[in-house]
Amino acid sequence: MKTCLIVDDSRVVRKVAGRIVANLDFQIQEAVDGADALAKCRELMPDVILLDWNMPVMNGLDFLRAVRREKDGATPKIVFCSTETDRDHITEALRSGADEFVMKPFDSDILQSKFAEVGLV
Amino acid sequence: MQEATFAALADLALSKTGQYISPSKSYLVETRLSSILRREGFASCDDLVACMKARPNPIFETEVTAALQTHQTSFFRCRDDLGRLVSDVIPHKLKRSKAGRLKVLCAGVSTGQEAYSLAILLNEHAQALRGARIDITATDICKQSLTTARAGTYGHFDIQHGLSVHRLLQHFTQLETGQWQASEELRRGIGFRQHNLLDEDAPLGQFDIILCRHVLSGMSKSMRQRAAELLTAKMASESVIILGHGETLTGVTSWLEPSRRHRGAWMYVPEGQRKVA
Repeated sequence: MKTCLIVDDSRVVRKVAGRIVANLDFQIQEAVDGADALAKCRELMPDVILLDWNMPVMNGLDFLRAVRREKDGATPKIVFCSTETDRDHITEALRSGADEFVMKPFDSDILQSKFAEVGLV
Repeated sequence: MQEATFAALADLALSKTGQYISPSKSYLVETRLSSILRREGFASCDDLVACMKARPNPIFETEVTAALQTHQTSFFRCRDDLGRLVSDVIPHKLKRSKAGRLKVLCAGVSTGQEAYSLAILLNEHAQALRGARIDITATDICKQSLTTARAGTYGHFDIQHGLSVHRLLQHFTQLETGQWQASEELRRGIGFRQHNLLDEDAPLGQFDIILCRHVLSGMSKSMRQRAAELLTAKMASESVIILGHGETLTGVTSWLEPSRRHRGAWMYVPEGQRKVA
């Protein structure tokens, strides 16, 4: 079974996204910020990372740049998931190594569609 | 909603557009008419139907009929089928076209995502298609949906259904409202027209390829047959109709048969060669 790491400081978002992604046949892991996520990736690199932007300790963009420098860090598909939905933010996320971008709020169809875009479903 | 009210609205949808609404879906009727009820100040569908009977108004009737339609659509719906259309069907048709020009009809496009998806794919395959001219005409019965389609402007949820972020940035502009608008090039390449598939007289012209995906399946069998047979009048020589994934006309009409060359495409069968449906 493929694994998905959901990185968001909101417990509600982690639960909602986790339920949707679990229905797509992924095993779910959660992290509360970028630093927590980086530690989890060093233990086991997931197949996909659903990543919030604004988080304490280490934000999504810093995590994204850091994880892409890790051994096997190029492997996971990284789907940014943020309320920062202007063109500049989206472009910066893609330039920093994100594969897809979900604008919050989202629904199950959107997540499924974005996972399909990166070849995960 | 009273049974008689549902029956009246279901009959209206069936007679005007061929759409079959099952009694178990009566909740859909209330949902789809809610904005008209609010705008016109009707307390319920019962009041709406009573008013339509007391003061018949063909324009209002058309609006109610259009509102009863399903408007469900998304970008790149059944993307593999769309991909085959651009990589296989269109190049094949172009080879056989002396003028190097094709006319494509997207029937029942609702708010336009199907037509824009095709336009995006044609843009991405422009080099392989060697500058061939491909005209897209997109139709729907609903005037309000077509207003959205012509503007090419989509909100937060609609823009994310089926569209990759890369295509979003390449082909859409973000407006100050936060909505996203299709590029002028995409909008200019599509002619939107209000059209009812069951209207025999509307002069749309003839097309080399007709996309009619996820439209006929919502109709009753007899109306599906009528709509499919009326579509054949819009087929140019050797043209094909592309249906949605899983949709079929087998057992519905003998006027069309599956193409042997293009999966999911249907060809016209001349009179005299038709098998009994």
